[in-house]
Amino acid sequence: MSELLIRNACVIDPLRGVNAETMDIAIRDGRIVEDVSGAAEVIDVHGALTLPGGIDSHTHICGTKVNFGRYMSPEDMRAGRTPRRGPMHSTSGYSVPTTYGNSYRYSAMGYTTLLEGAMAPLEARHTHEEFTYTPLQDTMANTLFDGNWGIMEAIRDGDTKRVAAIIAWTLTAVKGFGVKLTNPGGTEAWQWGKNVSCIRDPVPYFEVTPSEIIRSVVEANELLGLPHSVHLHCNNLGTPGNYTCTLGSLGLIPDLNKKRQTLYATHVQFHAYGGSGWKDFCSKSEPIARFVNMRPQIVIDMGQVMFGRTTTMTADGPMEFNLYRLHHDKWSNHDVELETGSGIIPVIYRRKNLVNSIMWAIGLELALLTKSPWQCLLTTDNPNGAPFVRYPEIVALLMSKKYRDAEFATVHPDTGGRVPLPAIERELDWYEIAVMTRAGQAKALGIQDLGKGHLGPGAEADIAVYPIRVDEVDPSVDYQKVIEAFGRTEYTIKRGRVVSRRGECLVDGSNATFWVRPKVSDAYDMGKDPDFIEKFDRYYTVRMRNYPVQKEYLNRNRCIETEAGI
Amino acid sequence: MIVKDVVCPFCGCLCDDIEVEVEENRVVAVANACELGTKKLMGEKRMKNPILRDGGTWKDITYDEAIQYTADMLLSAERPLLYGWSGTHGEAQCVGVHMAELVRGVIDNTSSVCHGPSILAIQEVGHPGCTLGVVKNRADLVIYWGANPIDAHPRHLSRYTRYAEGFFLENAFRDRKVIVVDVRRTETANIADEFVQIKPGGDYAVLSALRAIVRGKTEMIPRTVAGVTREQLVRVVDLCKGAKFGAVYFGLGLTMTGGKYKNIRNAIELVSELSRHTKFTISAMRGHYNVYGSNEVNTWMTGYPFGIDFSRGIAFYNPGETTAVDILARKECDAALIVGSDPAAHFPRRCLEHLADIPVVQLDPYPNATTAFCNVQIPVAVTGIDAVGTAYRMDGVPIRTRRVLSTGYPSDEEVLIRMYALMQGAKA
Amino acid sequence: MTFLMITGRTVNQGVTVENKTSAAYAAETSTCFMHEFDMLELGLADNDAVRVTGPCGEVVMRAVASPEVGMGTIFVPYGPYANHIIAAGTHSTGMPDFKSHEVALEPTDEEPKTVHELMEDLGGLAYDR
Repeated sequence: MSELLIRNACVIDPLRGVNAETMDIAIRDGRIVEDVSGAAEVIDVHGALTLPGGIDSHTHICGTKVNFGRYMSPEDMRAGRTPRRGPMHSTSGYSVPTTYGNSYRYSAMGYTTLLEGAMAPLEARHTHEEFTYTPLQDTMANTLFDGNWGIMEAIRDGDTKRVAAIIAWTLTAVKGFGVKLTNPGGTEAWQWGKNVSCIRDPVPYFEVTPSEIIRSVVEANELLGLPHSVHLHCNNLGTPGNYTCTLGSLGLIPDLNKKRQTLYATHVQFHAYGGSGWKDFCSKSEPIARFVNMRPQIVIDMGQVMFGRTTTMTADGPMEFNLYRLHHDKWSNHDVELETGSGIIPVIYRRKNLVNSIMWAIGLELALLTKSPWQCLLTTDNPNGAPFVRYPEIVALLMSKKYRDAEFATVHPDTGGRVPLPAIERELDWYEIAVMTRAGQAKALGIQDLGKGHLGPGAEADIAVYPIRVDEVDPSVDYQKVIEAFGRTEYTIKRGRVVSRRGECLVDGSNATFWVRPKVSDAYDMGKDPDFIEKFDRYYTVRMRNYPVQKEYLNRNRCIETEAGI
Repeated sequence: MIVKDVVCPFCGCLCDDIEVEVEENRVVAVANACELGTKKLMGEKRMKNPILRDGGTWKDITYDEAIQYTADMLLSAERPLLYGWSGTHGEAQCVGVHMAELVRGVIDNTSSVCHGPSILAIQEVGHPGCTLGVVKNRADLVIYWGANPIDAHPRHLSRYTRYAEGFFLENAFRDRKVIVVDVRRTETANIADEFVQIKPGGDYAVLSALRAIVRGKTEMIPRTVAGVTREQLVRVVDLCKGAKFGAVYFGLGLTMTGGKYKNIRNAIELVSELSRHTKFTISAMRGHYNVYGSNEVNTWMTGYPFGIDFSRGIAFYNPGETTAVDILARKECDAALIVGSDPAAHFPRRCLEHLADIPVVQLDPYPNATTAFCNVQIPVAVTGIDAVGTAYRMDGVPIRTRRVLSTGYPSDEEVLIRMYALMQGAKA
Repeated sequence: MTFLMITGRTVNQGVTVENKTSAAYAAETSTCFMHEFDMLELGLADNDAVRVTGPCGEVVMRAVASPEVGMGTIFVPYGPYANHIIAAGTHSTGMPDFKSHEVALEPTDEEPKTVHELMEDLGGLAYDR
């Protein structure tokens, strides 16, 4: 038995409605408890801001395309190197760090749970291998279904239960957590070098539209009772005028779930563009935020862009090709048979570039114009908008009008006429930031009941103690202190152990992987479905028996079973 | 007993549909595999126990002694080289990286002498590729460039290209065109619809000519380019532009000739150019069954696919300096651990002369050419036969190998973990 | 006569590659495939011994006519014989010139060495002779 007592913590715990109350936190064997014995180890944090461990609900950290981002970018690897030190292994990389680099740097910022945003089922084993080497965070993977042949055929046949059955079989086989649609239909069209322009375009051959894919997969997701909602990367990312497509996609979604949203729309900054081309490109954050404000069934994340160098990587292959034709830098693409694809290019977001300046403003606007912080979560779509190490700056920008104005003075001079940002006075408070960086994520992912994202008794003891006192620091003025505090915790505690102290990781760690197994009836077990088996054998290049990810790949195996309605 | 869906541990095709018949813990028959895979799965002549060179003779030693020897060798070395890794599973490769980091050594894999130049090209211009099944189901044009799959990847043609069934091809054999580009008229050239024979060293020029024609600059092309007529070059471009889905597979014919990575860069840029007209992809024909896995493991753990030097504490990468051939030829390393490869058969002689001068330990199931340069060799189980682990196919698809036999041999991973533990203990 | 030496994988090299001390592996990797006209010129018949001299040494192989090989080039299956004469320079890429060595050929009465002998010549000690 191990016991720990954290004294004099200034706790913000939004899932329990706790707002800056000073209290002690008792921990036994990795979980939060009512109290501990006198033998417990004591850490006095002297009123420092104490939050549940950070959760990133959309980041690219592990798997085929992430690793290819490293593989093709020695210049990025050189841009962030640390040697082996104590229990810390050496790390490389700035925008796409090595797995240890991701894990240590996230841990130093107080993050204890990460969701890999896009895992191709066929290559899932790779994602899980890298999870094993991301030791200081629990992990889970969104699984890509955007170009899945079996699902598109079932949709064409109007058989939503079969859609659900294929999702259930696949999630179980690949040890996936949630359902991800990236440019639905577009990734299949891209395997012919084509794309779909928006939700009404039919996918070549399969003759289903993105809107049909989105609607039936959302319905199937709820049939399966999955903890997370469908996680959507809308069609038409990154193009001027795409906000109408985004609104059309969000408009497809009924309110089907009482506990959480019915759709999680990711990196919406990239989908909130007005204009008919690059010349009249402008922000459409207002209509998007207005739409979200009226619909509790939708949660979005920012996809904030920060100026500087980064690497873009997404399953959205055609979008990356378009980006390549703009930037003329190196371009990688990787289509995955019967399922999905991906693309990668390096980019530099520049203040002197008008489009980049507008993109920077849009992300902040979405966060500031969305009334409820539970509906707009803080992300950069790491590393697409910026590497996650820039999160503290984003927190500070959201908390300080003064900081925003100071930054705004340095961007492209024409930005003011294209974005509403300068007129927005709102400054988020500590509580709202806590929602946007952990509590909101836990709720949106449906993992609060597993003890994530809060500090109530029974919760996993994942805790971040930041070296800042909320009663002494005015974030709207002292934004530099906010950046420093969120950049490096005093203590990061994972499963009841101090894993990181002032930026130094103290233990080797061992992650847990959360995955979902929906329990379906025999009639909907695709493992026994003759048509499914036959097509698998004929068109995949891996045998069906060799496809499932074995339990050996799960370090700490956290299977979530759901009662499916099929 | 017949074991089905066995994963073949020979080449980068990583075929996973093999059937192996086992009797009395011996492989007696292999179905579905090519000649190369069959031979490997049937196996023979394993080394029985660890051996130590004792002056002019060999003597048997225990695993404990061999492991202690290796740990001591690496700990006392100033610049150890840890080389090979393509012929073992990913889990063992991970331990290897940790070992190299601990002793501040250099870790390199066999890609430095196969597709290392391809990786250098990808680091310049990227890599538009796809999994093998995408090509199987869609490609109506396949180009093999400087690659001879009939000899090196015998089932590539039947599983993925020439003879493979495809979802979007009504009659795959008839509807799919195959172009072979090579300096030799290989067996593969004989099954091509179009064979383009290039004068040795002419690949770069031919690729440039094709790019020019794709861009509509045919009039700039001389009558022949490296022995290839302008008419044939135009015909090839027409085939490419007319295809719905084209796939280029290239081999060591591009990486090992003059120009090296610049050849690959030109080929990738041709494909990027063609992508503006139709769907096109390009991929390397990776040799060892898990050489790509070694690149993947190294990359997620260190940031670089091969040639990683930990002497400064951080991971440092500079091919040509931190790659095995160069380090051996410069007589720089003072100890070598070889795992899952046979440098004595595949490296230039100057490298071997240095191997003869330094302590060398090898993990390998079989006596091989490198055995002659070893101070200690440790026989291990063969991944895919009597050891289980992860391998990455040439297109990046990871597959877990199966075990078909139970022998007493420890796996590479087990042996390396024990060495690493001893080394950690000594450093602590 | 000088030739361009190209090395590469063959099926026979592949099936014997896990048994490198076998006679079959030695036979395959010591084969110098060449154009029949070049053989005529040098007065070589199939399986005659031929001394191949490269920038850093010489090695004896056996000449075999092949329709796959053009005049002026020789093809040698990847292995210890070709590597016995290949230079270690990599032009800062890590990759030696495995497919672009100029070599000289002349008939010889010597027999090709065994793999063991090649390794011992360089300071090794044969194990399972």
